[in-house]
Amino acid sequence: MNISLAGVRFEEVSPRRFIATVSKHELRKVVEAVVAEDSYLSNITAVDLPRDGKIVLNYVFWSIKLRAAVIVKVPVDKNDPMVPSISDIVGGAVGSEIEVYDLMGVVFQGNRELKRGFLAPEDVVARGIYPLRKDSGV
Amino acid sequence: MVVVEIPIGPQHPALHEPIMLRVRTEGEDVVEVSVNTGYNHRGIEKLMEKNSWVRGAYIAGRVCGICNAVHMQTYIQGVEKLMGVEPLPRANYIRTVVMELERIHSHMLISAVMAEIVGFDTLFMLIMRDRERVMYLKELVAGSRVHADIHTIGGVKRDIDEVRRDRMLSELKKVEERLKYYKNVYENDYTIAKRLIEVGVISKSDALRMSVVGPTLRGSGIKSDVRFEDPYAAYSEIPFNVVVRDKGDSWTRMMVRLEEALESVNIIRYALEKMPQGPAIPKTIPRSAKPGEVVSRVEAPRGELVYYIVSTGGSNPYRVKIRTPSFLNILNTTSVYLGHRLADVPIIFASYDPCISCTERAVVIDEKTGGRTYMSLRELARVKAL
Repeated sequence: MNISLAGVRFEEVSPRRFIATVSKHELRKVVEAVVAEDSYLSNITAVDLPRDGKIVLNYVFWSIKLRAAVIVKVPVDKNDPMVPSISDIVGGAVGSEIEVYDLMGVVFQGNRELKRGFLAPEDVVARGIYPLRKDSGV
Repeated sequence: MVVVEIPIGPQHPALHEPIMLRVRTEGEDVVEVSVNTGYNHRGIEKLMEKNSWVRGAYIAGRVCGICNAVHMQTYIQGVEKLMGVEPLPRANYIRTVVMELERIHSHMLISAVMAEIVGFDTLFMLIMRDRERVMYLKELVAGSRVHADIHTIGGVKRDIDEVRRDRMLSELKKVEERLKYYKNVYENDYTIAKRLIEVGVISKSDALRMSVVGPTLRGSGIKSDVRFEDPYAAYSEIPFNVVVRDKGDSWTRMMVRLEEALESVNIIRYALEKMPQGPAIPKTIPRSAKPGEVVSRVEAPRGELVYYIVSTGGSNPYRVKIRTPSFLNILNTTSVYLGHRLADVPIIFASYDPCISCTERAVVIDEKTGGRTYMSLRELARVKAL
C-alpha cells in the first residue's frame, strides 16, 4: 500500500514504514503535510555517502493517525550541506538539528540555536571536524 | 531586577544522564532555562560502525545501565530484519519478560527519586528496598541483576526452567502488592499532591508539537505506545492496556508510570504462564547482513527508543543512529519551566524521568553591565535584598 502526502508518493517498504525521497526545496511542504497526520518528529538520521558526494538526511516521523513511521529522505550536496530548518513547523526538531550539525556538519538554515560542541568533545570541535563523517579520521 | 543564573548539573552520583540546566530566575520565578549537553558523549554510534554486528549488541546494551535490555532488543530486532532472521517464539517471550522487569524497576526508581526530591525520604527508602525484589527477579531470568545481556541474534542466551518460573510467579505477587501500595501513596499523600499537581503542565497539542514520548506523552492524553502501535517481541500475542491520563502535569506522569508498572506485572505473569515450548537458544548466529535500511522502534521505560541502522552488506554496520527517549523529553521541554518557582524545576525535570543535581555555585548577572560574579549558595542566601 502506498500513501500520498503533499503530492509526494510514499512507498510502504515494510509493514508500517513509508518512505519517500524529496528535494530540499520540497522538504518544508512535505513536512507540513506529514505533521498534519498527528505526527511527531522521532529523529533525524544523517548518513554520509562519500562515494556519491552526498549526505542523506532521513527525517523519521511517527504518525499516530496513520499508525506508521513516515520517513522523508533528503539528499544534500556534501560540498554545500545546506537545508531549510523545520524547527518552526515541528518544535521538537531543534535538538535533532543541532545534533546533526554538530556531528555531520549539515547547516539548517533558519535554526538559530545551531552550535558546535553540543555533543562533540572540545578537541574534536577545535580541529574543525565533523566526527560522524566517514572521512573525518575519528 | 537582578537575574540570577543558577547552573543545575551536570554531575551527581545518581545521574544517569549528565546534563546541565542553566536556570535564570527573577526572585523565585523562572524566566529562562537552557540545556547544556555533551558531558557524556561516548561516540557509541561511531564505535558501532567499527565493530561487527554481534559485538554491536553488547555496545548497545551499554548505552544505558537502567534500560540495557531494551537497547539490545532495539538493536537486535533491527539486525534480525537486515539478516532475514526470525527470532524463536519462546525467545520472544523471554525477551518480553526481561524488558517488562526493566520497566518495573525503572518506574520504581523514578518514583523513589521523585519522593526524595519532594522531601519524602522514607518513601524513597521503601521503594528502593522493594525495587531489589525486581532486581532479584531479573537475576533469576537473566543471571545478572543489572545487565541482562540475554539477547542474541535469533533468540536468547539463557532459557528459563519450571523451577525458576514458579519462583518468579510467587515473587511477582509480592512486587504487585507493594506497587499497589505505592500507587495508593502517590494518589492520596497530601505532600506529594501539593508538590506535583498542576506543576509542569504539558497540554495535548503541545505534547505533539514538542515531540515528547513515552509516559510524558501518554500523561498528556495521547494514546501512543510502541508495544501497542508497532508490536515487537511477544507483545502482539499478550493482552495489555495502554495507560493514558489527560491532565499533563507532573503528578499525572508519575501516576501513568505506576499504573504501567502494575500492567507490566500482568504482562510478565501472562508471558510466564503462556510461554510456548521449544528451543529459545539459537544453534548458529549469522555474521553478515544484506544491504538495506531499517527503523527499529521499542517502547523503553522512558518512551520510544529508535535505532536507524544502515547496512551495505558485510560484517559491520555502515551507520547506526541511536535516539534515546530522554533526548526528546529533556531538550524539547525547556519552555515548561517558565513561570514556575525555582523549587519546582527539579520536580518538573524529574517528572520526565532523568535525574538532577545542584552544584555549589550560582552566577549573579548584573543586567546593566553584563558583569558576572560567582558566589556560593550560602552567600546567595544572605543577599536576598539585592
